[in-house]
Amino acid sequence: MEVQVASPGLVREHRILRCIQCGRCTGGCPVSTNSGLNVRRLLNETLLMPALTFSPEESELWQCTTCMTCSQRCPKGIKPLDVIIAVRGQLIESGRIQPGLRDALESTFLHGNPWGKPREKRSDWTAGLDVKEASPGVPLDLVYYVGCTIAYDPRLQKLAQAMVRVLDAAGVKFGILGNEESCCGNEVRRMGELGLFEELYENNMKVFEARGVGRLMTTSPHCYNVFKNEYPGFGREVVHYSQVIGDLLKDECLLLSKELGWRVTYHDPCFLGKQNGIFDEPREVLGRIPGLEFVELDRCRERSLCCEGGGGRMWTEDVAGQERLAEIRVRDAVELGAEVLVTACPFCLLTLEDAVKTTGDEDKIRVMDLIELVAAAV
Amino acid sequence: MDIVVCVKQVPVTAEAEVMVDESGRDIRKDRLVFDVNEADNYAVEEALLLTEKYGGTITLVNLGPESADKTLRSLLAKGTHEAIRLTDDHFADSDAFATARILAAALKSLSYDLVLTGSYSSDLGYSQVGTSLAELLGIPHAAMVTGLEVLDGKIKVERELEGGVHERLEIELPALLTVQTGINEPRYASILGLRKAMKKPIKVLTLTDLGLAEGEVGREGSRIFLNRLSVPPKGEGAQILEGGPEEVSQKLVEIFREKGVV
Repeated sequence: MEVQVASPGLVREHRILRCIQCGRCTGGCPVSTNSGLNVRRLLNETLLMPALTFSPEESELWQCTTCMTCSQRCPKGIKPLDVIIAVRGQLIESGRIQPGLRDALESTFLHGNPWGKPREKRSDWTAGLDVKEASPGVPLDLVYYVGCTIAYDPRLQKLAQAMVRVLDAAGVKFGILGNEESCCGNEVRRMGELGLFEELYENNMKVFEARGVGRLMTTSPHCYNVFKNEYPGFGREVVHYSQVIGDLLKDECLLLSKELGWRVTYHDPCFLGKQNGIFDEPREVLGRIPGLEFVELDRCRERSLCCEGGGGRMWTEDVAGQERLAEIRVRDAVELGAEVLVTACPFCLLTLEDAVKTTGDEDKIRVMDLIELVAAAV
Repeated sequence: MDIVVCVKQVPVTAEAEVMVDESGRDIRKDRLVFDVNEADNYAVEEALLLTEKYGGTITLVNLGPESADKTLRSLLAKGTHEAIRLTDDHFADSDAFATARILAAALKSLSYDLVLTGSYSSDLGYSQVGTSLAELLGIPHAAMVTGLEVLDGKIKVERELEGGVHERLEIELPALLTVQTGINEPRYASILGLRKAMKKPIKVLTLTDLGLAEGEVGREGSRIFLNRLSVPPKGEGAQILEGGPEEVSQKLVEIFREKGVV
């Protein structure tokens, strides 16, 4: 089954006539090397053909991780990523998308999370911990927005639990949204499902208002990104936890006394680093953990190699024989002699941990989230 | 090819905590979300694929409360054409047979080449509504269909039986088929599509509209009454038997004798 997308509208809206076909977009695209996605060619085709034809199930457009390198590198101010998302939106309207994507979207609409889990289990991770829910009358330092994947995935629930221990140790007054917390919609927006994104945005704004949210702290850079950049009229402060921990350490509200004698390196998540410019804060936090030996990956900061977890890739089908960028990343870290590969994004954590297993490097390196190191050093 | 698809809205219980309610005859539904019955979703998709190929209209028929409109609209958003909801207080407690009777009354005034239903519902799972409906309508049927092909005035179907055996039948239209999950891959209905579907009308029919008597529906019209729902008591761990087939079957026979099963 094929879907036709008219080009003139795309060309107009995304100002593709400016394109000089320099190829900086594809040159920087992480999946140009391991998939059929060619951003430069896509833009060229919109200029040459009145309509483009796509297979909604199989199109390489679903390989895009929405890392945004193309939009950042374009010398003519074109946002190729926005073109990809616009076409994705039309493929979604056809209804004939991969079952994995369909299930994630349907689940987000029904349950408020893409994992098919019931809403009433969203705060099960708090069992045994004393965590309060935010309410308008009670002043808090921040509201902790946990995130769908962290709330439900057993590996990632440990991050939220570590976060609570660290915030408590620092004397931070915080609350959570409990089972009223719903998907932030970052991935939904990137998959092109604008209608669903609008629903999530409207419902979330009502919840934030009703709960008196002033300052919102996220675990995931994805949630941080969408609240900061794509929630019109958000009207409140949003921070990523690495920024909060950094401040707590600087102000000495949080003291780390345990020595972690590990050789570590840090993987910059696309949504934290290149998209939102948060490179230094996680490094400063690592710098304040006693005993750590920090080594820098060659592809660090803006050049960080995308792990292929974003843009809906958590739910797309694997393409047989396709090289995984996360495996390259793990091998690079092992070559550096790092024992721990640290990251600050739940999708990066999952894809990198998977890659440690598939490269057979489990005895050489492990993947940890920044908050886990902080909690271990408290 | 005009198709009628009977759809049910059911609670989504896959990963939820299912508890029996105070009446002891139903589960607690206050914390559950509702969606189209899985097998019915596949039936709708099959209807969409058929009309895409052969033309025609798809009419959805649902026996349910007003809240079932949510499910009907999401199915209208997928491209089905009309929806009829059968709602009446008297319909409550209808078993599969009474349900089929109500559906038959609604279908009497419709013209169709094919009626599709899911092979069973994920809540009560009787697997009876479709086949009973076919009998009441006086049309041939096949249940648990896993594949179908339209011929001239006929339909060729494949059914999956036990032990991996497949049966192929040729049935004259109009006919009714109950459809298995997995027969196709259901499409996604976008929220924009859902918003457009909000404008489509849903026809609502009551007991009197359908010309049925009170005694024909609900508890009175049913032949099966659900007495009690209960959660099975947790038993002890499983016992794993080791050895070749001869050894294991011998052990099994001994266990059956021991437990008084045989």
